[in-house]
Amino acid sequence: MTLSAIQPIRSDQDPAERNSRPGHSRATAPLRTRSQKTKYALTVLAFLLPSAIPLALFTLGPMIGAAWISLTKWNLLAPQQFIGLDNYSKLLTDPRTGEIFLHTVYYIAGYLPLVYVGGLALALALNTALKGRSFLRGVYFLPVITSWIVVALVWRWLLNPSSGAVNSVLGWFGIEGPGWWTDPNWAMPSIILASAWKDLGFVMVILLAGLQSISPDLYDAAKVDGAGWWRRTFSVTIPLLSPSTFFVLIISLINGFQVFDQVYAMTSGGPAGASQVVVQQIYDLTFRYGKAGEASALSWLLFIVVLAVTVIQIRGQKRWVNYG
Amino acid sequence: MAERAVIHDRPRLTPRQLAGAIILHAIVIAGAAIMFFPFLWTIITSITPDASLTVAPAIIPQNPSLGAYEQLFTERPFGLVIVNSFVLAAITTAVQLFTSSTAGYAFSRLPFRGRGIVFAVYLATMMIPLQVLIVPLFVEMKSFGLLNTYLGALLPTFASAFGIFLLRQAINQVPHELDEAATIDGAGHFRIFAFIILPNIKPALATLVVFAFMGSWNSFLWPLIVLRSPELQTLPIALAGLQGQYISDWDVIMAGSVVSVIPMLAIYIFAQKYIIQGVASSGIK
Amino acid sequence: MNRKIMAVVGLTGVAALVMTGCSATPAEPDAPVTITYTNFISNDGNEANLAKIVDAFEKANPNITVDVTTLPYSDYGTALQTDLAAGTVSDVFDIEYANYASYQANGVLAPLKVSNPSAYRQSLLEAYSTDGTSYALPSSFSDVVLYYNKDLFDAAGVSYPTNDWTWADEKAAALKITDQAAGIWGDHQPVSFYEYYKVLAQNGGKFLNDDGKTVAFNTPAGIEAAKWLVEKSGTTMPTIEQGQGTPDFDTNLFKDGKLAMLHTGIWVFGAFTDSPANWDIAVEPSNGTKASAVFSNAIGVSANSKHIEAATKWAEFMTSSDTMVQVRLDSGWELPPISDDAKLATYLDKGAPANRQAVFDALDGIALPPVVANGQSEMQDIMTEELVEAQAGRKTVEEALASAEKRINAVLAGQ
Repeated sequence: MTLSAIQPIRSDQDPAERNSRPGHSRATAPLRTRSQKTKYALTVLAFLLPSAIPLALFTLGPMIGAAWISLTKWNLLAPQQFIGLDNYSKLLTDPRTGEIFLHTVYYIAGYLPLVYVGGLALALALNTALKGRSFLRGVYFLPVITSWIVVALVWRWLLNPSSGAVNSVLGWFGIEGPGWWTDPNWAMPSIILASAWKDLGFVMVILLAGLQSISPDLYDAAKVDGAGWWRRTFSVTIPLLSPSTFFVLIISLINGFQVFDQVYAMTSGGPAGASQVVVQQIYDLTFRYGKAGEASALSWLLFIVVLAVTVIQIRGQKRWVNYG
Repeated sequence: MAERAVIHDRPRLTPRQLAGAIILHAIVIAGAAIMFFPFLWTIITSITPDASLTVAPAIIPQNPSLGAYEQLFTERPFGLVIVNSFVLAAITTAVQLFTSSTAGYAFSRLPFRGRGIVFAVYLATMMIPLQVLIVPLFVEMKSFGLLNTYLGALLPTFASAFGIFLLRQAINQVPHELDEAATIDGAGHFRIFAFIILPNIKPALATLVVFAFMGSWNSFLWPLIVLRSPELQTLPIALAGLQGQYISDWDVIMAGSVVSVIPMLAIYIFAQKYIIQGVASSGIK
Repeated sequence: MNRKIMAVVGLTGVAALVMTGCSATPAEPDAPVTITYTNFISNDGNEANLAKIVDAFEKANPNITVDVTTLPYSDYGTALQTDLAAGTVSDVFDIEYANYASYQANGVLAPLKVSNPSAYRQSLLEAYSTDGTSYALPSSFSDVVLYYNKDLFDAAGVSYPTNDWTWADEKAAALKITDQAAGIWGDHQPVSFYEYYKVLAQNGGKFLNDDGKTVAFNTPAGIEAAKWLVEKSGTTMPTIEQGQGTPDFDTNLFKDGKLAMLHTGIWVFGAFTDSPANWDIAVEPSNGTKASAVFSNAIGVSANSKHIEAATKWAEFMTSSDTMVQVRLDSGWELPPISDDAKLATYLDKGAPANRQAVFDALDGIALPPVVANGQSEMQDIMTEELVEAQAGRKTVEEALASAEKRINAVLAGQ
């Protein structure tokens, strides 16, 4: 790509760009001369290269390395054998692949609404005139920085079917609690519960930061119009929080597809593989089962799925994300 | 909004609002107790010698002792690994603030042909699990001669798609009118970036400080693989080293866990001030 | 750049080929060399003890320096595999028995000329040899014994276990002692691969057929052995729902005096020294064939080490020297793998349990875990998973073993 190829898109060429970022075309006047174009291109490069170089060298590079490994049979010990697309065809015909993707999607479907609604409620509550809210924000952030080893131990105890606190409380109401992580049907809900609990503070922090960019004038205006707290929340706060919501959604999806630590620490994928997820399988294949080629192929399948979901989200954002 | 609302609302509380405030306090505090419980459990276990894991801890520990903490800093190199981890996390955070804000600016304010695709490629770097990148990355670092060096541990953390995305979202929300006013005054992109954009995204920058620091502070797999000399090792590796092949001393493991959480908590509390400070102080309406 | 990375990654394979092809060139005898040693055995408290052994070795071999790296046990395998893949492995490194067959078959380990093979316990030395050649040297061992709580036996009027006990004796005692209402349990034995291959051997069965390509446990003897393990759950042993299988559950139960018999390794002696329970050990009961589990760690020399001679010297020193024996016994750092029982005599008087002789008696009949060159971890995972399915009552023992047979055979066939 030559330098002069990097140039601004005129707003009339791309209506989508114009909708999502109103006003940018006014800030950047059309560039006429060659030297202006070159100067603009250099500016763009100056802003992008500090991040592009490390990403290209230390993430994209190894990704391509992994793509090569996915075309081989390799136990990390003996020399690699090139086998073309065999790893992919094996994965695509193995019903187990579908199962672990389903478990992963199940995780996301349970985790995402819980953590978002909880995190939003928390951010709104801790953004009001609560006494001791700085302290409370710190407490709600504690689980985010506590290691999964500890969190998993605690949750396995809380969710112990016979002596755990959760089933004891359910017992007071005459409800017989489930087997939680010892039961194949309840293992994933157990993981979802613990994960949402741990990540509430993460979502809270992002949304709290997002809340700060909403101008108080808008609230005052809504108040003048007689809007109550609920209406202000739903017609001012939530729409104006949409860029942060979009961020939380994309990041949680990408991370959700790569869920691993909590599964490893809470159930190791059990019982009987009922909570086995994609990245746990990748780890086992690489470092425990001596199938690095298959693991890399599985990673690339995961990559394609996550990319597709993310692109759909990015396309869809224009309908609901409001950059104010 | 919040800081101002406090002042305006307080004198005008109706009984209904008062009841609402009490209920809200009750819920939030009860929730906080649930959030705090595992940490409390960790602390209690850490001061209980011969701690056992399978029963709920006593509220008042029997024979409480700080022996586990003493062990961390005398028999184990926890002093050293905390300093190492802190230095690595501080460098990572500083560099990420720079690379994320510049890239975020480009993706928000510098349109060019193919920008959407470049941004998608950036995001795509988050979509392959680290577990499969480790071996190729290790081979690459070997060819650069950077094995067992801090540079080798740091380089892959210098740019983060997470941080870039976070700051791009924040910059998107800064009103374009501000740039335009500056452009009319003759400011170029570098000045707009430094004097208009950065001061207006302080909450997002503070958020990034928390997450960049935390990412480095907790990172395990890559430092484990690339840093082998005892004097280079980091906190999470030393924590993992507390678990034995057959048996583990849980009081020591929990003490290590408490020690590892405290500096991170301090960073969060420090950054929180800026996360909440927000727009009100930056002079925009 | 991309092409370069690909080339680099591709080269790894080539490098591995080259490594295995060339044997070491003999170093000049007096030239000073530095060898690297990566270990997990000293992690978690024995770093200083390892340093003592290194010092003694360097004193005895002034031209050799040993450069030690210690990694956490839990992640040692990940780091070692990465090193093997990239060709950066140390001259000398720790391995576990379960990985031996795979490393040996893939040409990772150098064949060793052991100068004094008779110093080692033969069963342990042979465990790390293939076709009569040693490819690694045992560095320590532990075995699994039956712990018992004398007070609970006394209270129930049952006589203490002896080395000659059978499964029937164990079951009768466990049933008599178990009092679920009082929270007293008779027995505890994990339901896992590592227990199953052993009880299988105790029942006269085999895990793998002689060719090592298919499993041999789906037989009446194998089913009986699996039932022996699985049916303890809920009768004489707590169920999974009651907490069985969580870390430290069994040892805590024993420590608290609520468990009469516990099958576990000698590594928990230390954890019980402060226990109020009055306890001792015996060799594990059997059902015809005495078979105790032995866990051992070993030390291998990299096939592409440039200093195989010096590395072998260190490996031998670390596994059989008197200094090592002394340091290990003094600090209670597992048991040295040596053959001379006289040197181990002090171990018998190191405090509880009284019957430390059982640790050595157990070695008269041992069962080593089945090992395969490809698919070891997968085989172990499948076996444990199927047994736990039977324990949880989601499958019958027969169904679980049939399923395990089918799945493990597929793994061994390389699918």
